[in-house]
Amino acid sequence: MRKSLSGTRIREQRRQAKLTQKALAAEAGISASYLNLIEHNRRSVAGKVLLAIARVLDVPASSLSDGVDSAKISDLHEAAAHHPTIGAEVAGIEELAGRFPGWAQMIAALYRQTRDQEATITALSDRLTHDPFLAESLHNMLSNITAIRSTSNILKNIEDIEPEKQARFHQIIHEESRRLTDAAQSLVQYFDKKADPKAGIATPQEELDAFLQRHNYSFPALDDLGDSPASQVAIVYLVNRILAEDSQLENTETTRLVTEFLQNYAQDAQGLPLTNFKKTAQRSQYNPSQIAQEFGVSLHSVFRRLAFQDAAQTAAPPMGLIVSNAAGRALFRRPIADFSFPRHGNACPLWPLFQSFTTPQIPVAAVLELPGKHKFIALAIAESQGAPHFGQPAQMNAAMLIVHYEQRALLSGWLPDLGEALPVGITCRICPRAKCTARTEPQILGEESGQ
Amino acid sequence: MAKRVLIIEDEPNIIESLRFLLEREGLEVEEQSDGAKAMDSVSRLSPDLVILDVMLPNRSGFDILQDLNAQPGHRPKVMVLTAKGQAKDRDTAEAIGVDHFMTKPFSNNEIVATILGLLA
Repeated sequence: MRKSLSGTRIREQRRQAKLTQKALAAEAGISASYLNLIEHNRRSVAGKVLLAIARVLDVPASSLSDGVDSAKISDLHEAAAHHPTIGAEVAGIEELAGRFPGWAQMIAALYRQTRDQEATITALSDRLTHDPFLAESLHNMLSNITAIRSTSNILKNIEDIEPEKQARFHQIIHEESRRLTDAAQSLVQYFDKKADPKAGIATPQEELDAFLQRHNYSFPALDDLGDSPASQVAIVYLVNRILAEDSQLENTETTRLVTEFLQNYAQDAQGLPLTNFKKTAQRSQYNPSQIAQEFGVSLHSVFRRLAFQDAAQTAAPPMGLIVSNAAGRALFRRPIADFSFPRHGNACPLWPLFQSFTTPQIPVAAVLELPGKHKFIALAIAESQGAPHFGQPAQMNAAMLIVHYEQRALLSGWLPDLGEALPVGITCRICPRAKCTARTEPQILGEESGQ
Repeated sequence: MAKRVLIIEDEPNIIESLRFLLEREGLEVEEQSDGAKAMDSVSRLSPDLVILDVMLPNRSGFDILQDLNAQPGHRPKVMVLTAKGQAKDRDTAEAIGVDHFMTKPFSNNEIVATILGLLA
C-alpha cells in the first residue's frame, strides 16, 4: 500500500521556510516529537493539525495533503517498469515525488511523451507493415520496373536482335510503363486520401470503424423495432435512413459494409429487444450463455448486442469486441480502452479469438495480460455462419468479447475460475515478449524484461 | 547437351526477357507461372537450375523451395528471384536452403553471369 506523502511535503516546505521542527511545532500547537513522526510519514496528518501547519507554512493545505501526486507516482512507477534495465530506485519514487515535485513532474511528462511517441510509431509501423494495398502496389511496381529495365537494357546493349523481337520488346516497355504509371497514380491518390485531415482513413474497413465511432456504436432507431418481428421492409427503410443521414459515407464498398453491419444489428435487436435484453443482462450478470439460452439466439448475437451499446445509457461494463473470419481478417471491432486492435490482421495468435477456431461451437474464457500489464477477461467462440451445405466447407467466424479485469465483480456470479492470466500481445511486430513461442515476425520496439 | 533452366515466375514480360537472355547463352528455357504446378514441372522437366519467384499465384515460392530441398534424388540449383528484398526474406530463403538470392530489378549482365556460374 502506498504510504502517505504529506510528511515529506511538510518537511520540504518547512525547510524552504527556514523553520526548525521545534519552531513549526510550536506555532502549529503540536509537540516537536509529533511533528517529527509526521514528517517521517509515520503518522498521518489531516484536519485541524494539517490546517494549522499549512497556515504557519503559508501554503494551501491541499498542497500538503495526499492525492495530489497519485497520477504522477503512477506514471513514475510505469516509467520505471518500462525501463527496468536502468535500475531506477522504485522504493524511492514517493520520496522523489514528495521532495522534488518539479523533477518528478518532468520525468513523468517525459515518460508520457515517450509512451505517446511509441504508440504513434507503432501505429505507423503497423500500417506500413500490414497495409495490403501498399505492399501489393510496391510489389507490382518493382515487377514493372524489372521488366522495363531488363528489356530496355537488351535493346540498348544487344545489336543483333530480329526486328520482330525488337518490336515485341518495345511493346513490353510500352505496356509496363503504362502499368507503372497507373500504379504510381494509384499510390498518389492513396496518399492524398491519407493526407485528408478528417481521419487518415484509408480502407473500407477503417471507414466502417469510423462510422461506428461517429454513432457511438449504437443505433437507437434500430433498437426500437419492438418485440414483434419487424418486416424486412421496415429494416431496409431504417437502415437506408441512417445511411442517408450520414454525410461522410462516400465509398461504395464502405456503404456495403455498413449496410451489412446495420442489417445484422437490426436482426440482433429483433432477437434481443432492448428493454428485455437490458433486464436479462443485468439479472444474469451479463452472462452471454444465459442470455443466449433465454432468448434462443447465438452467442455471437449476444456478444454483438453487449458490445454495441451506448455504455452511457446502460449500467453494463464497457465491452470490446472483435470478430474475425478463419483467415484472421477482422470483420468488425468495438474498441475498449487499453486494448488496441491491429489495423490489418496479424493479431496475436494467442488470443482466445483464434484458439476458439480449434474447438468450434465451444466457448472459451481466459484472463489476458497485455505487455502494459493491463488485464482483461476474454470470452470467445467460433460459430458456423449461415446454414451448412453438404459438400461445402463450413464458414466459421470467431468473436471475442473483452471486459476490463477490474470489472470482474460484475460477472462473478457465473464466471468460472480462469486461473493465471495468459500473457499475450497485440501483434508480433510491436510485442515485447521476446521468448514467445507464437511469435511470427520480429518486433521493432524494445524487449520486455524477464521474458 | 544444353542445360535446362525452369523459370517459375508469374510476370510474362519478365519471363520473356529472361528467356531471351538465357537462350542467347545456349540454355534451354522452360517456364511455369502457377505456384501450385511448380513441383510437377520440376519433376517432369528435371531442370538443371530453377529461377524461383516468391510471390506466386496459389503457392509461395518459399513453400516450393522447401519441397525442392526435401525431395529425394538430384536437386537442381535454385536461384530465388524476388521483389521481396528485405533481410528477413533473404534469411528465410537461406534458412530453407538456396544457391543464390537475387532481388528485382536485376542487372542483365549480373543475372546471366550468376546463372552461368551456378550451372558451371
